[in-house]
Amino acid sequence: MSALIKLEKVGKTYFRGKEPIEVLKDLDLEMPEGAFEALMGPSGSGKSTLLNLIAGLDSVTSGTISVSGVNLGAMSEGQRAHWRSQNVGFIFQTYNLLPVLTAAENVELPLLLAPLSSAERKTRSLTALRAVGLEERGHHRPDQLSGGQQQRVAIARAIVTDPKIIVADEPTGDLDRVSANQILELLVKMNKELKKTIVMVTHDPAAAERASIVRHLDKGQLT
Amino acid sequence: MIPISYNVRSLAVRKTTTFATGFGIALVVFVLAASQMLALGVQKTLGKAGDPSHAFVMRKGADAELSSAIETPKVGLILAGPGVKKDASGKAEGVGEIVVVLALNRADAPDQISNVQLRGIPDDGLGFRDNLHIIAGRPAKPGADEVIIGKRLRGVFKGLDLGQKFEIKKNRQAEVVGVFEAGGASYESEVLADVETVRTSFGREGIVSSVTVKLEGPEKFDAFKAAMNSDKQLGLNAMRETEYYEKQSEGTAKLITFLGGAIVFFFSIGAIIGATITMYAAVSHRRKEVGTLRALGFSRLTILSSFLLESTILAFLGGAVGALCSLAMGLVHFSMMNMASWSEITFSFDPSPQIIARGLVIGALMGVVGGFLPAFRASRISPVEAMRD
Ligand SMILES: Nc1ncnc2c1ncn2[C@@H]1O[C@H](COP(=O)(O)OP(=O)(O)O)[C@@H](O)[C@H]1O
Ligand SMILES: [Mg+2]
Repeated sequence: MSALIKLEKVGKTYFRGKEPIEVLKDLDLEMPEGAFEALMGPSGSGKSTLLNLIAGLDSVTSGTISVSGVNLGAMSEGQRAHWRSQNVGFIFQTYNLLPVLTAAENVELPLLLAPLSSAERKTRSLTALRAVGLEERGHHRPDQLSGGQQQRVAIARAIVTDPKIIVADEPTGDLDRVSANQILELLVKMNKELKKTIVMVTHDPAAAERASIVRHLDKGQLT
Repeated sequence: MIPISYNVRSLAVRKTTTFATGFGIALVVFVLAASQMLALGVQKTLGKAGDPSHAFVMRKGADAELSSAIETPKVGLILAGPGVKKDASGKAEGVGEIVVVLALNRADAPDQISNVQLRGIPDDGLGFRDNLHIIAGRPAKPGADEVIIGKRLRGVFKGLDLGQKFEIKKNRQAEVVGVFEAGGASYESEVLADVETVRTSFGREGIVSSVTVKLEGPEKFDAFKAAMNSDKQLGLNAMRETEYYEKQSEGTAKLITFLGGAIVFFFSIGAIIGATITMYAAVSHRRKEVGTLRALGFSRLTILSSFLLESTILAFLGGAVGALCSLAMGLVHFSMMNMASWSEITFSFDPSPQIIARGLVIGALMGVVGGFLPAFRASRISPVEAMRD
């Protein structure tokens, strides 16, 4: 398997006022295409920071990140936004569905950035909802769904544009065991059947067990 | 891009603030539209009587009929002026009228006295005004102590209604025998009587206040005016009738527009600040939603437009409510003092499509102005920061 995601000497420093906080330091990392990666580590170790860099949500302070040979560091903010809309699906710990939109509308949202007709968007979002087993719940608003169901809608939203990569930051962090297992099973299915490369940050050893590769981060270093 | 339903529903969720903000904008648009409707109503009321092919003659230097006096012999000279239209029998078409002020008790407050204009017209005076129609009763008989009143005077003064009597001078009663309308013109607020009745009651024998003549066409006016104004001995000044009435209404309409504009100016500052505060609150409340949208790939410009659209929708809806309420003012009539004649004239709010359209545009514009800074702040929200909250 070739490397889809490649980090070379990646450093990330935040500034709190004038005081620099070096979160990631000289990080070298290759993630193969089709992998299901789990990133573990104590809180504050830089897991989310690393995930955001891979997803093109944030930019490196030093070093380079490339995805499918595309150097994210060379892109402008606007270019990265466009790149994200085509290449990355996001799953968040708190689901982050728009509360005033229905499940189907939430799933359809990323498709508004693609050149598709309204009918095509509807068909695709229904397909994505079906893939997470919620085609019956399309007209429900997030507050009418359980946490587990909301996260499944979020997974549908993440896969609807057919991106190469799915990033998930503690996707089971707010869920009970049963719902968490459903979510993890779905992620495994997306990885196996749809060939999505998944990078998942997690605290939960049971979640990490489902991944094909587990990495540990501590104080900005892989261990 | 981001669907409008997202904005509309977000507004619907925050009902109280949405309502309060919309109310402020509705108020501004209401005042704006209502004051413009009133200014238009004033102009229509005072200016409607004008006809461009009518010439209106007063004594030189007089700016209203009340301060003008023309001796009767001069009336013949005026009617003989160039371009004056002749009827089938060869008689020049024109009327010399006298205007005086009556002080009458108000019907709503009987111990209060207000002024009403009383206009003495010659026998053919009614026929001269094409837009004047008797809507109740009958015309006054020449030489009798009878009057007809404009429809807007009905019920405003004691004794001034069909079949009632009032004192035209001490110990001399005049009876109201008819009510007329005149397409909203100012003399709908006047009392009309026979010219001789007015002269004898007020001791104005031998004079008229003004002479109005029909010209053969509007283009004949310049020659007519030249003939009237050049003779220093006559001491007359001719105006187009339209010009005269416009002059009478200009000041009042401008005053109303100015007062309305001043109120609107200060109210709108308040409403814009209100919209800004509401939208800032909406943006900070929805930081995470914005962060999510940015993560999904929506651009800063899209976020900015979405919030700007939201405040514009809110303001537009508020403005539409205000404009709608201002239309209801069309049912309201009220009296005020006419500065030119010192008499009571009744005004109405006259809606026009332009006024409503202007109100809607200005309402929406307040949303754009008030929403810009919050929308700009929303567009600067970093998705990474928003997710860390
Ligand atoms: N925008 C930021 N400004 C300042 N410090 C930050 C910022 N983002 C992250 N950090 C700091 O970087 C460190 C790593 O954060 P994060 O990547 O969120 O850790 P994790 O996800 O592993 O818990 C933390 O100490 C955090 O306080
Ligand atoms: Mg984290």
